[in-house]
Amino acid sequence: MDFDFSFLAEYSGVLWRGLLTTLQFVGIAVVLGLVWGFVLSLGRTSSNKGLYWLATLYVEFFRGTPVLVQLFWIFFCLPLFLGVELSGFISAVIALSLYSGAITSESFRAALKSIDASQFDACIALGLPQGVQTVFVILPQAMLRAIPNLLSNVVSLFKESALVSAVGMADLMYVGQNIANNVARPIEILTAIALIYFAIGFPLTRAVSLVEGRLLKVVKA
Amino acid sequence: MAFVEIDGLVKRYGSLSIFEGFDLHMENADRLVLIGPSGCGKSTLLRCMMGLEDIAGGTIRLGGDDYIQGATDGRMTLDRRVQKEVGMVFQHYTLFPHLSVLGNLCLAPVRSRGVKKSEARDKAMGLLERFGLAERANFYPSQLSGGQKQRVAIARALMLDPKLMLFDEVTSALDPELVVEVENTMMELAEGGMPMMIVTHDMHFARSIATKVVFQERGKVIEAAAPDDLFGNPQQERTRDFLRNVLHIEG
Amino acid sequence: MNYEFDWFYVKKGFPQLIEGLWLTLELTLWANVIGLVLGFLVAIGMLSKIKAIVWPLTAYIEFFRCTPALIQLVWFFFCIPILFNVWWSAEFMGILALGLNLAAFNAEAYRAAIQAIPHAHTDASTALGLNVFQRIIHVILPQALILSLPVLITNGIGIFQQSALVALISVEDLMYQGRYISTQTFRPIETLTTVALIYFAVSFPVSQAVTLIERRTKRLLAN
Ligand SMILES: Nc1ncnc2c1ncn2[C@@H]1O[C@H](COP(=O)(O)OP(=O)(O)O)[C@@H](O)[C@H]1O
Ligand SMILES: [Mg+2]
Repeated sequence: MDFDFSFLAEYSGVLWRGLLTTLQFVGIAVVLGLVWGFVLSLGRTSSNKGLYWLATLYVEFFRGTPVLVQLFWIFFCLPLFLGVELSGFISAVIALSLYSGAITSESFRAALKSIDASQFDACIALGLPQGVQTVFVILPQAMLRAIPNLLSNVVSLFKESALVSAVGMADLMYVGQNIANNVARPIEILTAIALIYFAIGFPLTRAVSLVEGRLLKVVKA
Repeated sequence: MAFVEIDGLVKRYGSLSIFEGFDLHMENADRLVLIGPSGCGKSTLLRCMMGLEDIAGGTIRLGGDDYIQGATDGRMTLDRRVQKEVGMVFQHYTLFPHLSVLGNLCLAPVRSRGVKKSEARDKAMGLLERFGLAERANFYPSQLSGGQKQRVAIARALMLDPKLMLFDEVTSALDPELVVEVENTMMELAEGGMPMMIVTHDMHFARSIATKVVFQERGKVIEAAAPDDLFGNPQQERTRDFLRNVLHIEG
Repeated sequence: MNYEFDWFYVKKGFPQLIEGLWLTLELTLWANVIGLVLGFLVAIGMLSKIKAIVWPLTAYIEFFRCTPALIQLVWFFFCIPILFNVWWSAEFMGILALGLNLAAFNAEAYRAAIQAIPHAHTDASTALGLNVFQRIIHVILPQALILSLPVLITNGIGIFQQSALVALISVEDLMYQGRYISTQTFRPIETLTTVALIYFAVSFPVSQAVTLIERRTKRLLAN
């Protein structure tokens, strides 16, 4: 069996655009997910029972169902529900962001929970008002502690983003499969696609463990 | 009227009763060291005084002002103005890990007492200078040794000019060679006339810093006396037992 | 919102969905068998001091952890038949890809657990005269299993969710049946919501159980 990777050069432009589309989806989902996740985590730590259950149900549901199902649901059902046309792009962004928000809120919540109770004692002993305690002591620590998890969420989203190809978005995965069909050379093209994903996913994953090690040292005081 | 008056303190953790009517008085010039078996409620007492625990009954007074009053329904009243006159240092440092040494010292004065940043900074530098920590001002807690962390924690409490300092086993988490530097810092404070309540397992240190030693067991004061009397000539059988055990273990 | 719900087709198609669920569960089960066994073997291999063993295993783990499961699945589906000249069913390809993916993640879980086993235990077993294999089976495996159980189950239920991808290579699992019914009947809301609820009904209790187990193992380890 002989392989021929040379034809890939011809498609480099298309692949590049596919990759950019992928990164675009990930970028938007990460940013929107941060905001939405923060709001959700407020709900999940709220003393208001109604808010708490609403947020909890939401998070558990999005973590307990396949992202593919979520994506199809948003793509096919949301327009019917709202009675408006949604482009595939918008649907995909909404789906990824809703999922992103769910996992992000978990990262925030875990970070908040991991702050030692003695930190709160110290605040009281120093007579810090509630607001000062939250803004200057608890929130910054929660953010620091959440960073590794937030980064690893980025990796997850990066990988899950390949699903948007299933609703016809021309991301890296989609472009790759298209070329594979056209030139009937699946091995070369699919391997190349996998390697491109790896070339981004691997350093990101490494960065997560590096940052984690660093932060653990700082936060453990 | 004593400087600190704890009268009829009642403290329970759920069904576990720690104090059922605990009394303790302390004079302004006193440095009171609490000793007693582990689990007898020494930390709980200090935490109650700091307002960290809800108490079910009794009053705690400082300089004649009621500032914590227990109530059976669990709704104790707490006068935050007086509470602010008490400083506390914990066993496990509890520095804020995301702030530098200077940041740790200046946070409370600047954010809750309205002290100007530059003023707080000068005061902090003065304290750090005094403790030999000036060149660590911009370090983060994770870059400090245990002894340094604990001395920063003491300085942080002093920033608020407390009228009374509480120390809960502040040297217990330290490596033996670092204990001395923290104890020396406390000695220096003592010489400056700071009223203190100290919980420690180090009987030699207790003897040298205390003006009064209180032996406490099962939520009651068993014996209270000047250090030389309590260590040299304990009156109660239980005090003798306790001292024999700890001094024996210490070798 | 003036959408009128009509659950008729969902009721009618329900047996079909349940059939799909069974296939999904079957895929999940086999993927987990591969993941648990192969994952442990890989983790043991990673303990080796021989570079020729460690390097390929590392490459395998990192590759499967750092690329989308979808590309792995599609790659297997299209490339394995050409490369090895074999014609396996799509179900089998699905199991293989999901199983290898899971094994990579589980290997990491095992490895972390093995590292957490106190050295004293290994020393103790050497002192007891156990040979390497006895040690792996009787000392390392049981402890690694207990320590990594929460992560292993979390990964396992993750694969249950990821298995929905096989619908994209025409394996008739729950996802596939849901898509099929919804396009046939033009009732996506009812069908896909039902599908989502079925997935949720399976994975939610498991994830709750993990939380419980985590608390237990923490207490067990505290002793
Ligand atoms: N937050 C708490 N909840 C329940 N029990 C507690 C709590 N804190 C302390 N205790 C119990 O109260 C008792 C006194 O504890 P503590 O004051 O820490 O003792 P000491 O400092 O003298 O060793 C102990 O039996 C301890 O287990
Ligand atoms: Mg104590």
